[in-house]
Amino acid sequence: MDVRAQVSMIFHLDKCIGCHTCSVACKNIWTDRPGAEYMWWNNVETKPGTGFPTHWEDQEKFNGGWKLNDQKDLKLRSQNKADAFLKLFYNPNQPTMEDYYEPWTYKYADLFSAPAGNDQPIAIPISQVTGEPIDIKSGPNWDDDLSGSPIYAENDLNLDKLTEEERNQLFEVERLTMFYLPRICNHCANPSCVASCPSGAIYKRGEDGIVLINQEKCRGWRACVAACPYKKIYYNWKTGKSEKCILCYPRLETGQPPACFHSCVGRIRYLGVLLYDAERAVEAMKVSNPSLVEAQRTAILDPNDPKVVESALKNGISDEFIESAQRSPVYKYVMEWKIALPLHIEYRTMPMLFYVPPLLPVMGKSLNGTYEQTGEGFFTGLAESRLPMKYLASLFSAGNTTVIEDVMKKLMAVRYYKRQTSVNDMDVSQILRESKLTAEQAQAIYELTAIPTVYERYALPPLQREEAIENTCSPQACKGCSGLGFNEAPARGC
Amino acid sequence: MTDAFLLIGLPYLAVFTCVVGCYYRWRTSRYSYSSLSSQFLENKQLLWGSAPWHIGIIGILLGHAVAFCLPEVWNSLMSQRVVLIIVETIGIALAILSIAGLGVLIFRRLTSARIQAVTSTMDIVVVSLLMIQIILGLLTALQYRWGAAWSTGTATPYLWSLVTLRPDISYVADFPMLIKLHIVLAWVLVLILPFTRLVHLLAVPLEYLFRAPQLVIWNTRRRQENAIVAEIKTESRREFIKAAAGITIAGGLISIGAFDKLLNFFKGTPHDETAEVDILAKKLRRLQQTAEERALELERKKNEYIQIATLSELSPTKGKYFIDYAMNPGLVFKGDNGLPILISAKCTHLGCTVGSEVDGQGRILCPCHVSYFDVKTGKPNDEAPAKLPLRHFSWVLMDENGKIILRQNPGKPVEGEITPEVLARGNIYIVKPHEESA
Repeated sequence: MDVRAQVSMIFHLDKCIGCHTCSVACKNIWTDRPGAEYMWWNNVETKPGTGFPTHWEDQEKFNGGWKLNDQKDLKLRSQNKADAFLKLFYNPNQPTMEDYYEPWTYKYADLFSAPAGNDQPIAIPISQVTGEPIDIKSGPNWDDDLSGSPIYAENDLNLDKLTEEERNQLFEVERLTMFYLPRICNHCANPSCVASCPSGAIYKRGEDGIVLINQEKCRGWRACVAACPYKKIYYNWKTGKSEKCILCYPRLETGQPPACFHSCVGRIRYLGVLLYDAERAVEAMKVSNPSLVEAQRTAILDPNDPKVVESALKNGISDEFIESAQRSPVYKYVMEWKIALPLHIEYRTMPMLFYVPPLLPVMGKSLNGTYEQTGEGFFTGLAESRLPMKYLASLFSAGNTTVIEDVMKKLMAVRYYKRQTSVNDMDVSQILRESKLTAEQAQAIYELTAIPTVYERYALPPLQREEAIENTCSPQACKGCSGLGFNEAPARGC
Repeated sequence: MTDAFLLIGLPYLAVFTCVVGCYYRWRTSRYSYSSLSSQFLENKQLLWGSAPWHIGIIGILLGHAVAFCLPEVWNSLMSQRVVLIIVETIGIALAILSIAGLGVLIFRRLTSARIQAVTSTMDIVVVSLLMIQIILGLLTALQYRWGAAWSTGTATPYLWSLVTLRPDISYVADFPMLIKLHIVLAWVLVLILPFTRLVHLLAVPLEYLFRAPQLVIWNTRRRQENAIVAEIKTESRREFIKAAAGITIAGGLISIGAFDKLLNFFKGTPHDETAEVDILAKKLRRLQQTAEERALELERKKNEYIQIATLSELSPTKGKYFIDYAMNPGLVFKGDNGLPILISAKCTHLGCTVGSEVDGQGRILCPCHVSYFDVKTGKPNDEAPAKLPLRHFSWVLMDENGKIILRQNPGKPVEGEITPEVLARGNIYIVKPHEESA
């Protein structure tokens, strides 16, 4: 047993209102530099939708993540050791700026310097790459709230698994449904970006599992951009370096949650330590698609098990870290209640960011073309939900609908339970039994979901700044200058 | 003069600048050690530019490198006409491929507004020079046929003469202007390499072939290691300071001496005739000594027997020294029966010469570390530092006509008839040892 600690995350999708405050917080701190304007280390997508970059889930096109070969070994989809060298010259798996968008600003000076005339002056949009006027065709959240649009939502790859009838149902204008999917780097336990980097610049921090890119070592071969199936590594075209979400490690090291967590209006984000078995992490990802979610759970270790604690201590994980793992909200959601699932685990990178799937579009149903909330029970059954289980399964359980239904039943049971405790008009014991929850668990889920304190949401491990090697200058001091994490300006990109 | 500069001065300048420049850039600006990829900004034309360009230029450079590094192998290959034609054809094809690729890259760089946003002056300089260089190379190949064959007798020895620091431009001095330009431009490209995106040549990630897929760095462990390294560093710094102080003092003393010598050198030595006579005499003595030694060696090489004494001059208590065949000292005594005893006088302890006086117990003494050796048996006394006995030698006794009368090998009985008159006028000879018999 090779115990590692991982700072992992829960995003509770039922609570996300799609306000992009997280994205803006991140942008303001980290990616408002030349060459990084188009990067959104944190972005929020509307689902169904094509996402950012467009069709990032299309691994036929981008070849991200791992695949199982005939010998049941994990191989990078994007390259092998030999052709990685050919791909230095030209990498066919690269996304280009067209897949994201061309960043722009406005010529605000024109508002003040325009000659007097009959019309109001306007600030025209100009490209932040060339400085030329551009015709804006897309942006980072271009499909925001457009779940019914034929260009965006209907092209969502996860809909491929649906039957024609289900698709039609989903897109009947009256029956439009959508939810939001905020995404940051998953800080995977088996990261394909690390494995693909020719320069060995990307690494996982042993203490907390944060995946970082050493900007001095990065030579800009961009193999990681292709290899990351979540397209959460971005190439800075100005500095020639790849950049990614750093889980705000400078904030973590001073006891603050990452900026996107801190700023989250809906308080959907939870942060805590998971202990996992690094030996199991790769093995677990070698099973067939439907078993992947369960396999990942077997690699995650119980922080209260004395044997685990002993091996953890042997591995140099501090007492404080283990203590923080024992009160981790992530462990509760993922392992105790099993209601948080990884995103697209079929990419086999073992993502360590988990989502509580959204119940709200599932609860409502339509009857005769109108939104109905009545039925045989207070809530509707899963089979009649507006958002097909297959669609959620395609996102969160590698196509295994049983896993999703189990989660949904639990989430519904908590609601029934709360209605029962506050209104006392139904018997929930049968429902709780079916969903394999106890009344205490239902109460605990309710408490951690609806009324948690900040300390319950963020069980921050006591990282010490003096333990860190990557000392950065203050983000404020580096503003306007590229080159993340440097105390002096790099040679290019300023 | 121009030739000398362009073909000797420039190459050394270029290589020196390249090495120092690349190292300096690595130390001071490692961040910029790459080629700034623009695939993100423009993808389609890049495929038709970058791929053919790199394949072409790497192939051509490999050909140049083999012809330079293994001229003999290359020559023997090129002496076959078919191989030569194939190689030249491939070379020309690769040149056209890389010109086409580079053409696309230049076109792309000049026409795309996005690419222009990441283009520096040096990028333009580099692509222009590369284009000119390849065209020059291609023209050379077309106009002066079979360069693959003639280069091993001209360009290769020229390059080797530069490498071995014995620059000789006679190999290439008669080249036409076109080829000289190709050579000079190559050196210019080497010269500017550290200041351009060409440094990406040195960033080829070969380590990727050998590394494990996952990379985990523990800061706490790294910190501990760093602490140990720091400890070692301070420790070694202390040692270094000690050593440096010692060296400074010693160096100071030496330099005072050297300074004195230097002063004397400039003052010149005073002319002293008696000193000169002394020195010459010493030299003469040394020469004589050498000559004697040589004569003895020669004598030993030539003769089977060498006379070392007459029997009549021997004494039982005082040995006579002689030189044996191995050019080591030996002693000869008169034995009880009136016959000679020949014994090595080279102490078996550390090789001192053993004394010639026999004491009351029939022993001779090595004065260096007080080993007593029995003359008859050669054995050392028990307390002696020497543990091995002294060797006895074979000898023969001859009369004045050179007829062998008596012979004895060590440990063997005497051969021949012993008569008083024989003993009176016999000469003693030592016998050349034979490896076979020994």
